[in-house]
Amino acid sequence: MVDRLERLTNLLALLLETPRPLTLVEIAGDLDGQYPADERNRRAAFERDKAALRSIGVPIDTSTVVGGPTAGSTGYRIDRAAYELADLDLSPEEMRAVQLAVAAVHTGSSAGDEAIRKLGGSPIGAPVAVSAVVPDRAELPDLRVAIAQRSTIEFSYRGDMRRVDPWGLLLRGGFWYVVGFDHDRQAKRTFRVDRIDDGALTLSDPGAFVRPESFDPRDAFPSDPKLIGHVAEDDVDALVRIDPPRASGVVAEVGDDRVVERTAVGAVIVRVPAANRDAFLSWVLGLAQHAEVLAPAGLRSAVVDALDAVIARGEEAS
Amino acid sequence: MTTKAEARLRRLLVMLPWLMERGEVPLEDVAARFDASITEIEHDIELVAMCGLPPFVDEMVDVFIDDGVVAIGVPRLFTRPLRLTAPEGFTLLAAGRAAMQLPGADPSGPLAAGLEKIGDALYDIGIIEDTPGDDTAGLALELDRPETVDVFAAAVAGGDEFEIVYYSPASDTTTTRRVVPRHVFADGGHWYVVADDDRSGARRTFRIDRIDSARPTGHRGPAPDAPVDRPAFFDDDVPRATLRLRPAARWVSEHYAVDSVEVRRDGSLDVVLPMSSERWLSRLLLRLGDDAECLSPPGAVAGAAALAATIRARYDGAPAG
Repeated sequence: MVDRLERLTNLLALLLETPRPLTLVEIAGDLDGQYPADERNRRAAFERDKAALRSIGVPIDTSTVVGGPTAGSTGYRIDRAAYELADLDLSPEEMRAVQLAVAAVHTGSSAGDEAIRKLGGSPIGAPVAVSAVVPDRAELPDLRVAIAQRSTIEFSYRGDMRRVDPWGLLLRGGFWYVVGFDHDRQAKRTFRVDRIDDGALTLSDPGAFVRPESFDPRDAFPSDPKLIGHVAEDDVDALVRIDPPRASGVVAEVGDDRVVERTAVGAVIVRVPAANRDAFLSWVLGLAQHAEVLAPAGLRSAVVDALDAVIARGEEAS
Repeated sequence: MTTKAEARLRRLLVMLPWLMERGEVPLEDVAARFDASITEIEHDIELVAMCGLPPFVDEMVDVFIDDGVVAIGVPRLFTRPLRLTAPEGFTLLAAGRAAMQLPGADPSGPLAAGLEKIGDALYDIGIIEDTPGDDTAGLALELDRPETVDVFAAAVAGGDEFEIVYYSPASDTTTTRRVVPRHVFADGGHWYVVADDDRSGARRTFRIDRIDSARPTGHRGPAPDAPVDRPAFFDDDVPRATLRLRPAARWVSEHYAVDSVEVRRDGSLDVVLPMSSERWLSRLLLRLGDDAECLSPPGAVAGAAALAATIRARYDGAPAG
């Protein structure tokens, strides 16, 4: 039996060279002795090879042969122009800048280095002074393709099937989000990409929807989770006193314009959104003894209730 | 799933055009560039030299190895690399867009110009739409940064020393220390500076939004032995906690670097995660309340209760104002 790499290379060369689509019978004839003689095994081996070529990015066209002795069979061929990487004409400075970008941004996959080699550059192995980690998710390339070609996507999201017209991808706060129109909810929705269940993403045919004009994923939802309301209350602000040592860190987080008062001992009183009560409580409790909710009274007592519950659990456990 | 033959073919389809452009390349240079052993490269070159179709049996790719040098005869097939795949295109685009947001990026510099040219290749594989260069609407990467990030990034080259006031969540205290920044990076929505720290005498990672103030001292640290990269976050020496999380507390498994997650039949999760200190774990349990149960370490529930009692004392009277 011929080495699989040799057969794959020959198949690729044959489909690139042929002036017209070839049927499996013709392919097996040209690659004499490389595919099994038995028809079923031959078909199975060919399907595996076809899938292998497609998985590394080779575009294989299929068509139905019209006329001639093989009329009606499926024909295969590779369009050389589609196969080959176009000459991008990058200047040495541009190539260097792209190499540095790929070296500085850690995506968790080797795809960036592979791309650099295809473009004729070499990956930079040494660390650069400033870098960023962009989380890798297997779904991202498909999501990007779906957005570009306007395919409706279907995926399982924490066990629920969702149908969404994807409008954009956003990396915010270290997480990837896909923003789009949710068919079942009939409304715009945002989904965390890392919450999409593994291997459960499918794309419809292209051109399935129209994206709203001048859509910007950055406007799709508030950047502060305390603002993402899933409670009925209207805009609720809380007054919180923050003691040193957390005062300056909190001011940097919420912004100077939220500072209501600075005390002589270095504490600050800030006005922060609390429409999402759970997110607010989680935030304020994370500041531990350095924070105290001053108003409104309802939130102040919610903090007390949360603390009492934890104290009670400690007593139960001992 | 990429099998070995596919990975080898993928490498060949990039290697052959690269060799054809050069004509002759020492075997070891080929191996170094493609991150493979000399034996692997030899094997693949010898195999591809045997490939052929009638009537050109054995002549499809005119390549041979002579005295440790790979030589190409008349290039015919595979003169250009295979186009980019969707994952390669996406990674280039995401890395380029992210790098445009790093300190010192020039909106009209060579990276911007290069990304513009790469746009054509990305259009061919459907990664971007038909308006190359005008596609921010569909893909946005936010790496918002405090101003100090740029200060530290600029200081790496010269080894400038700073005096910083730093809040440590593990000890819940602030300390003043002298540091020499060596590397600056963004991860998980935060910025960090890797710096040589006089207080611990070691290289440490500081989260930049926990640096209350930074003042250049006018001193310079010695040049490091080698360029410094971002560190791996947690080592195995850090003690672990095991938490049972209700669905409302699932964010913990996504927000923190966890060792393991086990989904239970009732939808709750058992996670094992590194804990930077007992104080840290107490605060986490406080935030999670009824949505989490701490399975280990055994003293954690009492620790959280003691912290809750401390905070509770603040609420006994009227608001402090």
